[in-house]
Amino acid sequence: MTSSPIPITPENSSARVLSEFPVDHRGSPVPTLAMIRTRVMELRKRRGLTIALVVVNIGIPAIFLAVRLIIHVVDPKSYGPAGGYGIFTNLVTGVMFIFGFIVAATLGCTAGSVDLSEGVFRHLVVTGRSRLALYFARIPAGLTILVPIVAVGFATVCAVCVLAAPTQLHFDGAVVPQGLSEGGLVSWAKANPQEVICNFNYRGPINVPVRCGPNGPVAINPQTGPPASTAVSTSQLATLAAAIAVQDYSSYHQTFLKPPYSLMAQSLLWLELETAIGFIVGLGLASLMGQRTVPVVLMIILEIVLTPLFATVNIPHLIDLQRAIVGVATVHVEPLGLPSAFSGHGNGGPTLVPESTSTAIVVIVGWLVVWTGLGAWRMARRDV
Amino acid sequence: MTNTVTTLTPAVTAQSPWAVETHGLTKKFGGRTAVNGVDLLVPRGCAFGYLGPNGAGKTTLIRVLLGLTHADAGTMRLLGHDVPAQRDIALARVGAIVDEPRFHQHLTGRQNLEILAAAREPAATQRIDGALDRVGILHRDNDRVSKYSMGMRQRLGVAACLLGDPHLLILDEPMNGLDPGGMVDMREMITSLVAEGRTVVLSSHLLDEIERTCDAVAIVDQGRIIRQGPITELLAGSSLEVEIECDAPERALFLLTSGPLGAKASVIDDHLLVTLAADTSRDAVAEINRILVTGDVAVYRLQENHASLEKWFLEVTSRLGDQQ
Repeated sequence: MTSSPIPITPENSSARVLSEFPVDHRGSPVPTLAMIRTRVMELRKRRGLTIALVVVNIGIPAIFLAVRLIIHVVDPKSYGPAGGYGIFTNLVTGVMFIFGFIVAATLGCTAGSVDLSEGVFRHLVVTGRSRLALYFARIPAGLTILVPIVAVGFATVCAVCVLAAPTQLHFDGAVVPQGLSEGGLVSWAKANPQEVICNFNYRGPINVPVRCGPNGPVAINPQTGPPASTAVSTSQLATLAAAIAVQDYSSYHQTFLKPPYSLMAQSLLWLELETAIGFIVGLGLASLMGQRTVPVVLMIILEIVLTPLFATVNIPHLIDLQRAIVGVATVHVEPLGLPSAFSGHGNGGPTLVPESTSTAIVVIVGWLVVWTGLGAWRMARRDV
Repeated sequence: MTNTVTTLTPAVTAQSPWAVETHGLTKKFGGRTAVNGVDLLVPRGCAFGYLGPNGAGKTTLIRVLLGLTHADAGTMRLLGHDVPAQRDIALARVGAIVDEPRFHQHLTGRQNLEILAAAREPAATQRIDGALDRVGILHRDNDRVSKYSMGMRQRLGVAACLLGDPHLLILDEPMNGLDPGGMVDMREMITSLVAEGRTVVLSSHLLDEIERTCDAVAIVDQGRIIRQGPITELLAGSSLEVEIECDAPERALFLLTSGPLGAKASVIDDHLLVTLAADTSRDAVAEINRILVTGDVAVYRLQENHASLEKWFLEVTSRLGDQQ
């Protein structure tokens, strides 16, 4: 083969002086506000995804609460108030935490893969803009979409749970005054022994020869156990009621008519953290793999299957691996006052794998940093 | 398409006379060498054709130049800036379509351009209207790209290239999907871009389009550049063909090949095709006519065929094939 037999010189062409090169630091890994803004637009305009985000974070809790409001208005004797502390905790840990993570992960996987799959990343790279900046622009953009949606959904839940909270505190099936100290609860129990003995849960052996029978408290034979025919004295009833009240105080202490403001604030931050984790990990995973479907499936498996398993089943020799799962760590930074997202209230539910808060924080930060790094590295190196 | 808007501010930029300059550029995919030691020089301010058959390595070279994939060996400069060391600076004034232009389908044409403009300098956003107008789709700017035809997407791709007020445009198969009118528009726009002082590198396997549009070409095959230069000079070395329609082609063939002219000739579909050396004067055509007439051959038509890039390309590549 021959090469270039006829030289082309600039004199052969009409070369002339052209415009200056802009000085805009486009090699910097820091994205510009304009890049973030247009990225928000690109994600927000995906109708299906946006609808899913709104439905899961706002729609499902709102519909659930609306139904409860309606049936309470129609038949208040059969159906309790729509709001309250219990409803709040169930919605936050049962719905918003888990499904919020999944839709956030879906958004992250979308943000991490669509530029590649739709062929736009090539156009963006040709602008000369740093690939890292193109990647990092997606993080604030995604969070700009997610954070307000989660906040609106959570505000809806809080509003209903506070405004439509019950007026009486139901604890273990008994109507109990709210906000008593331990001494106050004991005093109230002594004054209402039958309510306590026949409704409150016994949380341990009590060495008092009185139990709740079919027709109210009765004395029992301490040796044989069966009910004795002897009458129960008032002091015996008060002693037993006081003992049960002491046992149940810690549980009573965490039961409210409506969620406290501090708990609501902490819960919002916790949900936002969970959402951000879902988004950023999904973004990194999808950027690493260059596609959306498989990462979404993996994220769902992580949240629905692996995390509950690793959070509650103590696997010998794998305890450190279990602690390194981000979902397990997130449960460990859950606000006090919320039931565990995977082990319930602790009443007969599975026990969480033990993990210190500092370890949990390290695990969460590690996941965010590692997945962001992997995604950024892959996007910077990828042939497009 | 209208010729409006994008104006170039006069100022001195990089000093290199070449818009694209590569030396020994090589790119391998496993054991296959897609770009094989390419030395390419594209002068500024011209339309430059990068011509080759499918799979010749055209798009791979463009991807290497633009930093979409890395080179395995060699050096390259775009607009006087070393790539990849100064890639961000060089690409600031480069616009490119690689393969087919693809966009976010759920967004409008304008929104897609806003995303791309945001990755450039702030002034790029202000060029959106002008770019859309120039490629003739300003009236459809708020339609979703999913509703665009292939030709409109090509135009949108060119509009995206114009956002950066480019000194150099690299267009990979820009005629794909265009109807005849669109091809004419594209050709005119390329001409106008060059007239503004920009350099347009046109990668294509459509020889006719390259010949009509470009000032110079590089022929690439199997990852190597086999020829490069101004089209007029390349074609100057091609042989001259004379097509003859007569009443006795076989007799005419005998007269011309046995006579003093020494022409190569053949009969194809009752036509006589005579091939003369490249440096043959036009008097040879008159001599052919005289030989035939004096030999009692009735000549109905005698046509001189000018060398085309297509014929030259086939000639060059077949010669290479013979050598191999």
